[in-house]
Amino acid sequence: MDDEADDLSLLERLRAGECRALEVLMGRYAARVHRLARAITRNTADAEEVVQDVFMTIYRKGESFEGRSALGSWIYRVTINAALNKRHGKRHQVETSIEEHLPGFDASGHRKGDRPYVLADWSQNPDAALLSEETRALLNRAVDSLPDHYRAVLVLRDVEDLPNAEIAEAIGESVASVKSRVHRARMALREQLTRHLGPRA
Amino acid sequence: MTCREAIEKLAEYLDAELTPEVLQQLDAHLEICAPCRAYVATYRKTRELVAKVRRVQLPEDLKTRLRAFLVDHIAHTK
Repeated sequence: MDDEADDLSLLERLRAGECRALEVLMGRYAARVHRLARAITRNTADAEEVVQDVFMTIYRKGESFEGRSALGSWIYRVTINAALNKRHGKRHQVETSIEEHLPGFDASGHRKGDRPYVLADWSQNPDAALLSEETRALLNRAVDSLPDHYRAVLVLRDVEDLPNAEIAEAIGESVASVKSRVHRARMALREQLTRHLGPRA
Repeated sequence: MTCREAIEKLAEYLDAELTPEVLQQLDAHLEICAPCRAYVATYRKTRELVAKVRRVQLPEDLKTRLRAFLVDHIAHTK
């Protein structure tokens, strides 16, 4: 069955010119490539072009993939490069410093902030509230406002559920660096969600 | 363990990568610290919400355009 064929055998078939193999790889990776490209470019039209570029690269340069790493990691690496190229010169706009959204601590290591704020636990709020249009929009803006090197890593870890080691390979950084970025990105998003969903001071 | 130290370890806590010793220290801290319990719960929920909100499928029209684009290019490069 095509749907059960492994990535490497699909690549082999693609090299032999079988279009159906590309179709199966599209079904497997196109949505993931698009989500990552959209996260990096923050632009739907650019993300679509990145998806096209990535699949053309898979078709043309699939033979340069040597099978030492997972095909997924290679595809994500190609996607990140294509997406960063696409937005070359479009830096700035919505990005904010991540520091301003990280929790603050006093000298004794306790979190800064008034009692209702540090005790705010909105995790049990009904899904209808947590997934309202307003909260979705806020969370999407918060993700878009993360610096480049945090967005890609966050999406790969929390949206695509990739292991830290595979992300490290895809972005060419250490596992420790991946873990640190994911953690800081989550903290920054949590802070913004808490300001929106938690008790007002 | 302070709140700052507890919060620093949350990513590894969720990945079940803490050593038994550190895990015990963190659990002991959470036992007595309501703000950190709230932090863990909302940190974990943040991860869930990011996945739910951003895990969108490829729109059908984009899928159709992508397929047409690739078929066209492959036909021209053969």
